[in-house]
Amino acid sequence: MDMKRVMKDYFLDLDQASKDPERKVAWCTSVGPAEILRAMGFEVFFPENHGAMLGATRVCMDTIPKANAMGYSPDICSYLTSDVGAYLKGITPLTKAYGIESVPRPDILVYNTNQCKDVMHWFEYFAHEFDAPVFGIHPPTHLPEVEESHIADVVKQFEELIRVLEKMQGRAMRREDLQRTCALSKQATDLWAEVLETAMARPSPLTFFDSTIYMGPIVVLRGTKVARDYYRVLLTDLKIRAAAKVAAVPGESKRIYWDGMPVWGRLRSMSELFKANHACVVASTYCNSWIFTDFDPADPLPSMAYAYLKIFINRNDQYKEDYIRKLVNEYSIDGVIFHDAKTCPNNSNSQYNLPSRLRKGGIPAVIINGDLCDLRCYSDEQSSTVIEAFVETL
Amino acid sequence: MSAGTNHEHLYWGVDCGSTQIKVIACDGDGKVVHKRIGRTLFPLLEHVRNTISAGGSGPSPLTEDLLGVKENHTLAATGYGRNHIEFASGKLTEISAHFLGAQQLLQLDGPYTIVDIGGQDSKVIEVHDGRVGQFVINRKCAAGTGAFIEELAHRLEVPLSDLTRLARLHDKDMTLNSYCTVFSGQEVIKILMNGERLENLIHALYASVVQRILEMTSITTQNVVFSGGVMNFNPILIDLFDEKLPDHTTFLVEDAQYCGAYGAALFARGLAEKQAENFSQSEVNVRLAT
Repeated sequence: MDMKRVMKDYFLDLDQASKDPERKVAWCTSVGPAEILRAMGFEVFFPENHGAMLGATRVCMDTIPKANAMGYSPDICSYLTSDVGAYLKGITPLTKAYGIESVPRPDILVYNTNQCKDVMHWFEYFAHEFDAPVFGIHPPTHLPEVEESHIADVVKQFEELIRVLEKMQGRAMRREDLQRTCALSKQATDLWAEVLETAMARPSPLTFFDSTIYMGPIVVLRGTKVARDYYRVLLTDLKIRAAAKVAAVPGESKRIYWDGMPVWGRLRSMSELFKANHACVVASTYCNSWIFTDFDPADPLPSMAYAYLKIFINRNDQYKEDYIRKLVNEYSIDGVIFHDAKTCPNNSNSQYNLPSRLRKGGIPAVIINGDLCDLRCYSDEQSSTVIEAFVETL
Repeated sequence: MSAGTNHEHLYWGVDCGSTQIKVIACDGDGKVVHKRIGRTLFPLLEHVRNTISAGGSGPSPLTEDLLGVKENHTLAATGYGRNHIEFASGKLTEISAHFLGAQQLLQLDGPYTIVDIGGQDSKVIEVHDGRVGQFVINRKCAAGTGAFIEELAHRLEVPLSDLTRLARLHDKDMTLNSYCTVFSGQEVIKILMNGERLENLIHALYASVVQRILEMTSITTQNVVFSGGVMNFNPILIDLFDEKLPDHTTFLVEDAQYCGAYGAALFARGLAEKQAENFSQSEVNVRLAT
C-alpha cells in the first residue's frame, strides 16, 4: 500500500464528508478517543496532523506570526499558532498536496488533556469560530501509576462524551461498533509497535525520520481497516529489509534515541546530518506515543481509558526515566538526544534534570534547543554542531 | 625543520568562527610553524584562502596554488564554517577541536573542564579519561558570548581593547540580570541614566558573562581550562572565574584564540596517519591523548 495514496484518500474522503450534510466530522486531538468518534459514525480530523504539515512545509513561518499578532503568544504551542494563523490567512497545505480548499468544518471538537492543556485552548478557539460544540476529556495527569480510580474517572468522561455524540447522531452507541473500532485500533497499533521494533536490528532498516512519515495512518486512521492493512504491508517490507541487513543509514556506527518532538521543518536536513555522521536515530519517545497495546475490544472503554492514561507524556519523571532506560537497552542505544522544544514544554523532557540522571547512569545525553514548528526558535548551525559533537564523543 | 619547505609534511587546522578565521600549521611533532588570523568575511572560501596564504608569521607554503597539493599538506576544518571549506581533508566540531588542542598543550592528568567563550557561542566541555565526556553550548541568546561583550561595548562607545582596564577600576559589584542581550542593553541604559560609573557597569557586564557560563552546567572537576579568543583578550574574565571558582585550579591555554585551530591541525595529523578513509575519531583522540 502506498503511503501517499492512503493519506490522500483519507483527506479527500474527509473533504467529501465535510460537504455532505449526511456525514459528520469531529476534530480530535492526536491521542484523543478516535475509536469512540468513529464508532459513532464521525469522520475524524486531527488538527495536530495539520500542524505538523504546516511545520514540515514551513508554511507555518507565515502563519505563526499572524496568530502572534492577534494575541497568541510566541511561547505557546506552535501547532496551535501555526493552525490558528493558517485559519486566519485562509490557507492550508492540503490545497497544494490534495487540491483541498480548506480544513473540514467540524460538527464537534473533542480534545483530551492527557498530552497538554494547549489543546483545550486550541479547540475552544475553533469551537467558537465554527460555532460547534467542544468536549474535553480531562484525565488525571503526570501519573506515577495508573490506578483504578483514574480509569473510572476517564470512563465516566467517555460515557458522557458518548451521550453527547448519541444526541448529535440521534441514535445509541452500538457496543459492537465500539468493539470493532477498538479491535482495529489494537491491531494497527500492535503492528505499529512491531514496525518500530524492526529498528532493534543492527543495522536498523528505518530511522526516526522515516517513522515520522510512516506514522501518518496510526495518528489519523486509528480504528480503520486501512491503517491496519497499511502497517501489515509496511511491517513485511521492513522485516525483509532487516533480514537482508539493508541499512537505513549506510555504515551505521552509532545508534541514537530521540526524545521530544521532531523539528518538522528540518526533517530532511536532520536526516541527512545523521546519515553523514553514520548515526541512526533508531528509537524515539515521539513515535512510540501511538503504541496502545492495552486496548481490549472485549472491554473497550476501560481499556481505552487505561491506554490513553498510560501514555509517556502523561506520566511522571521517574516513569519517563525508566522508560527511556528500557529502550536504551532494548535498542542498543549509544546516546540520547533531547529536543527541548521552546513551545512544547510538556513534551520536552530535558527540563527537569533527566539528561543528568541518565548521564550519571552511564547513558550519554545531550540537549538541542529548537521547536516543533517555529523555526525562529531554532539554529541550524548550533544544532548541527551539538549533534555532530555528540556523535564524535560517543 | 625550516618553515615552508616543500618537503616537510604540514598539518593545517582552520578554525572558521563567526567573527574570525584562525589558521595553524604544525609539523609532525605538533610544533606550530605557521599561525594566521583573518576576519570572517564573505565570500567565505576566498577569505579562508586569503587567511591561509597571506599575512601571519612568514610566507605560507600553502598558497592558493598549492591547496590542491595533497602529499605535503593535510588540512582539517573546525568552527561554524567547517562544512563550507571544501578543500579540507576532514572536519571536526569545535568541541573536539578545543579538546584536542587543550589536551596537547596542557597535558593535564585527570579530568578537567574546558570553558571556551567564542564569538557567538560558549561551550563548557568536560574531559574524562582523555576524551570528551559531556558538553553544553549556550542556549539561543548571545548573552555569555563574545557577541554580547561586543554589543554592549558598542552601545557604551568603549573600544573593546579598553574594556578590561576600565573594569578593573570598578569600586562596586553590580549585577546584570537578564540573559537576553536586548534586555541587558536596556538594563545598562537604565543604570547609566541613574548615574552609575561606567567602570562599575563594565565590570558588571563581565560578571554577567561569567554568571551565564556557570549557569550552563555544574563544573565538577578540579582543573578548569580556558580557551578561545574572548578569554584571551578579556583577561578580567579569568579573574572573575577565579573568584567564582575559588576551590578550582584554572589554566589559560597558550594562544587561547588558536586552540581550536591547533586542535584541528592535530586532527589533520591524525587523519593523515590513519590514511583518511580508514580514520576513526576515537582512535585519533586516543592517540593524541597519549
